[in-house]
Amino acid sequence: MGIVRDGMSELKQEEGASAGGFVPSRRTVLALGAVAASTVVTVRPAFAQAAGSVLNCEIPVPSPDKVGNYIASDGTLVPPGTPGAFAPAPRPLTGEEVRAMMNHGPTPSGIDPEAGQAYLNYIRRLQAGTSGFTCFASLQMPR
Amino acid sequence: MAGPRYVADPPGAIASVDLEGLTALFHARSGTTHILAPPAPQILQALAAGPADADEIAARLAAGFDLAAEEDPAAAISARLAELEAAGLVWRESPSSPTSGAKATACGQPSG
Amino acid sequence: MKHRFELRVGPVGFRIGSAWRGPVEALRRLYAGYPQPEGVCDFTVRLEPERPWRRALRPSVALRGDYMLPGAAPLALAHGLLAAEMGMNLQMALGQRRFLLLHAAAVEREGKAVLLTGHSGAGKSTLAALLGERGWRFMGDEFALLDPESGLLHPFPRAVSLKNESLALFGGVDPARLGPVMDGTPKGTIRHLRPPAGAVARMLEPAQPVRILFPRFDPDAARDAREVGAAEVFVRLTQASTNYVALGRRGFVALTRLVSSVPARAIDYATSEEGVRLVEEHWRG
Repeated sequence: MGIVRDGMSELKQEEGASAGGFVPSRRTVLALGAVAASTVVTVRPAFAQAAGSVLNCEIPVPSPDKVGNYIASDGTLVPPGTPGAFAPAPRPLTGEEVRAMMNHGPTPSGIDPEAGQAYLNYIRRLQAGTSGFTCFASLQMPR
Repeated sequence: MAGPRYVADPPGAIASVDLEGLTALFHARSGTTHILAPPAPQILQALAAGPADADEIAARLAAGFDLAAEEDPAAAISARLAELEAAGLVWRESPSSPTSGAKATACGQPSG
Repeated sequence: MKHRFELRVGPVGFRIGSAWRGPVEALRRLYAGYPQPEGVCDFTVRLEPERPWRRALRPSVALRGDYMLPGAAPLALAHGLLAAEMGMNLQMALGQRRFLLLHAAAVEREGKAVLLTGHSGAGKSTLAALLGERGWRFMGDEFALLDPESGLLHPFPRAVSLKNESLALFGGVDPARLGPVMDGTPKGTIRHLRPPAGAVARMLEPAQPVRILFPRFDPDAARDAREVGAAEVFVRLTQASTNYVALGRRGFVALTRLVSSVPARAIDYATSEEGVRLVEEHWRG
């Protein structure tokens, strides 16, 4: 059963060890792990994930503070008229539309398929704090 | 090569719970939660006695456990320390002073 | 605001204000029999026009309130009831601090609570609602409220939003418990079902959690039940909580205590009947 301990955690201490003591009365093997092993996982609760089911959201491409920029096929923002780049999306994309595109589903209506891929790459690059990030994060499936 | 000496928060600044052999850990100062597999929690515990490099940590651990390592123990421990550092649970001792004043602990106690 | 409705759901009091009459009337009918909050409401939801001129012209309902999230798309007025429900969810998701919130359904029997948790669409809402018609007390389908001090689960019995396919399973219920059919919502065609009278009457009775289940509905799946390790349950529940981080150490203590003391199983089922049977088999022992 789990017991919350401040200080020394309940590790593999044998009976007879002093409270908070480090030396067990019988020795346990401690595997140190391969150099490439992963033994520390930081829990990053995605608020957006749980809230996503309660939210009907949409993502403007690009975000309102970046109006005027074009979107390159890799999703980065470039000056308007850059060859090979796409004009901003004519309307915000809904969470459902983005989810469908992520699952190789149809391009949203009124959106050119190649432009759609560029928009999707833009959305994948969104950082926390940018308009649309919460909506995008809410579409991610855990693990 | 022993590598750098690392420092951890004192045990009082951490809450930990055993979950079937893995350790759930709450780091009060940052408010972050981590899941640790052995030997990471044991390494943190070893640092309670004060800052140490990988060799010194290996010695402290060997006092209580039989260490099993595929490669050189210090190399494995260095890898674990790098993981703990990335998670914000340990940091390198500042070269100018043994216990960095900037790393004030939750209870205002100096490390080590 | 022009139209108002106050509602108590378990330990939480809501005030819903609306620029339009329709959503408030729909709420009043759906939540007939629910108590009023005592004293000050915990949260306020405001259903407002996206822009002032959108109150009358192609009405567009924006979700506003004490807590708001940028990027939330407005809904059509025909879906005003859904907007009110989503608004209440949003207040809880963003503002709840007294309880650790788990995105889970919960049902109770003999004073013991079973948590049903997992992704949206995994089937937990339908399963919880069905169990509520089969002798279990329905405690909620959207949020489970874990009290960090006592370790008990508190009910949050809101109306259950059911999709087309699931509605057929509830053909025998009193029609007065059903809300309006809403087509073309972000969730497709849905209808709300008011929980049974017993669940409403007992909305202030907490229960001791004894089992965590991860139900998965898949018509092509083989019936299965398997144990889930405590560390995995812990991580999955942090992903299913909107306020774990905000609660800090209280959240850590509450959640580690829950996963340490309550065994967990993953259950896969191909029909809802199979799901009900699996819960009945795996909820204790």
